[in-house]
Amino acid sequence: MKKVLWIMSLLLLPLTMNIQAAGYSIELESANNDLRDQASLQRGAVLFSNYCMACHSLKYMRYNRVARDLGWSDDAVVTEMAHGLSTVTENVMTRMEDGVALEVLGTKVPDLSLMARLKGDDYIYTFLRSYHQNEQGEWDNKVLKGTAMPHVLEGIERHATPDEYAQAARDITNFLAYAGEPSKLERLDLGWKVIAFLLVLLVLLYLLKKEYWRDIKH
Amino acid sequence: MSHQTNESSAGKSSLLAWFDERYPVSSTWNKHVGEYYAPKNFNFWYFFGSLALIVLVNQIVTGIWLTMSYQPTGADAFNSVEYIMRDVEWGWLLRYLHSTGASAFFIVIYLHMMRGFLYGSYKKPRELVWVIGMLLFLVLMGEAFMGYLLPWGQMSFWGAQVIISLFGAIPIIGPDLALWIRGDFVISEVTLNRFFALHVIALPLLLVILVFMHLVALHHVGSNNPDGVEIKKLKDSKGIPLDGIRFHPYYSVKDAMGAVFFFILFALVLFYAPEGGGFFIEAPNFEPANPLKTPEHIVPVWYFTPFYAILRAIPDKFLGVVAMGIAVVIIFAMPWLDRCKVKSIRYRGNSYKVLLSILVISFIVLGFLGTQPSTPLYTKLAQIFTALYFMFFLVLPFTSANEKTKPVPERVT
Repeated sequence: MKKVLWIMSLLLLPLTMNIQAAGYSIELESANNDLRDQASLQRGAVLFSNYCMACHSLKYMRYNRVARDLGWSDDAVVTEMAHGLSTVTENVMTRMEDGVALEVLGTKVPDLSLMARLKGDDYIYTFLRSYHQNEQGEWDNKVLKGTAMPHVLEGIERHATPDEYAQAARDITNFLAYAGEPSKLERLDLGWKVIAFLLVLLVLLYLLKKEYWRDIKH
Repeated sequence: MSHQTNESSAGKSSLLAWFDERYPVSSTWNKHVGEYYAPKNFNFWYFFGSLALIVLVNQIVTGIWLTMSYQPTGADAFNSVEYIMRDVEWGWLLRYLHSTGASAFFIVIYLHMMRGFLYGSYKKPRELVWVIGMLLFLVLMGEAFMGYLLPWGQMSFWGAQVIISLFGAIPIIGPDLALWIRGDFVISEVTLNRFFALHVIALPLLLVILVFMHLVALHHVGSNNPDGVEIKKLKDSKGIPLDGIRFHPYYSVKDAMGAVFFFILFALVLFYAPEGGGFFIEAPNFEPANPLKTPEHIVPVWYFTPFYAILRAIPDKFLGVVAMGIAVVIIFAMPWLDRCKVKSIRYRGNSYKVLLSILVISFIVLGFLGTQPSTPLYTKLAQIFTALYFMFFLVLPFTSANEKTKPVPERVT
């Protein structure tokens, strides 16, 4: 397989134990992204569309699902993310044609739908912020050495303030975290209601049990 | 015949009477629920039987709905799981109920087995309850192993590859046996298809039959209890055990309360940590199976890791497989290895308490070691705790024969 994937599979190793930060050559920065920050998710989606989708796909996401979850209308998502090139029922696919990546980058480009679940939010955030120029003046990445991925955010890093650059990386991370599990907020919001119901039921059953057991002599 | 039965047969509705003439509705209910007398002193450890049954029902029901959307093909298995997670109404909930349920099943079963060790529930006359229970444990392990292949992620694929290759270590027939199990030279769609068939029909069917037999055997001999005294020895004039209470309503309400408490813990994981810290759903499984790319560190799911650590502790592959097999099978023999007449740990000697502590600690340490990459230190530790694990079963027949026990009370306390 390709070099990048090999390195990625090595990086996968510590994740099997969920000690994500410990295994990388550098300590991962905390992404501090917030799935409830819809503005951040929208900015992240637009940045993803402009900077990532030239090569990467989110093949498990459909535009209308993104629109529904991020507070866009169907028309808005087509304008903002697809530049009018896709319909709302299509999946979020790269604009690159098949085989081009192998020719230009020498590798296949991973789909990013589940990258946040595979690697963690902090990994993506740190990765995006860890490009640096090596001694030969070439771009390299501290998190994933020798990555075939160019420093696509170079323009932002150069022209924006450090805070704005960090926010851009955070927004992209946030959007990818959302894409990894679109139902996550629904899950978090349902959970406490279920648990609250169960707590009430537990109290009632405790009283019922106590009532029945009154006639059992211990 | 008890007072209750006379009363209920007198006031029995004509519909029930019609059924009772043609099918043993009332008598079955009474035998197993309404007039099943259980000791009145069940404690915390006695919740796990009913919880195991509840988890089994959860796995079957969510499994049926998952099967409606899952595709057991190499090309679409992984995609269909994501389809369930994203596009199927409540699909994410069904999937997490099933994946969390799998781990919950083993937690409950390990605690259920622990109860047996604590109170000697495997002893005469309950040997068959124990043996059937151990068969259930074996089938459950097979069921979980095959289910784990179905999401068709990297860990699904490589975990199955490693475990099936173990059969290849058996002399002479090994390689052909591994090939026969896989149906191919590597794990492939052929393997996926047969594991799917076994996971969704063959093994669940076996589980249900064995659970039925487990309960029939239990209700025939009656439940043990934390004091390990036989409540059937002392009965009142109506033939009802003095220390027995009807399962329904006493234990049905108590178990319902226990179940809801369990549901709360279950919901906490289900809704707030469905990956179980990387133990219930391993992160590499979010990458589709790739036969050309071996993950550096292949770890089985947590519930297999104690046995996996035993396998790795033995330097020879075949002997490792044998040791792992014996580690499971030897538990079957508990009714005959433990020769102490006293059942409950409350009245047993120190030798058993020490041995049991060593067994539990060894099992937990081995479970941890099985999740870790092998290092010389960890391998050494795994060897020590493997030896301690087996020591329990080898030493027990000798120490238990002349154990210094305390007097057992006549009645439950």
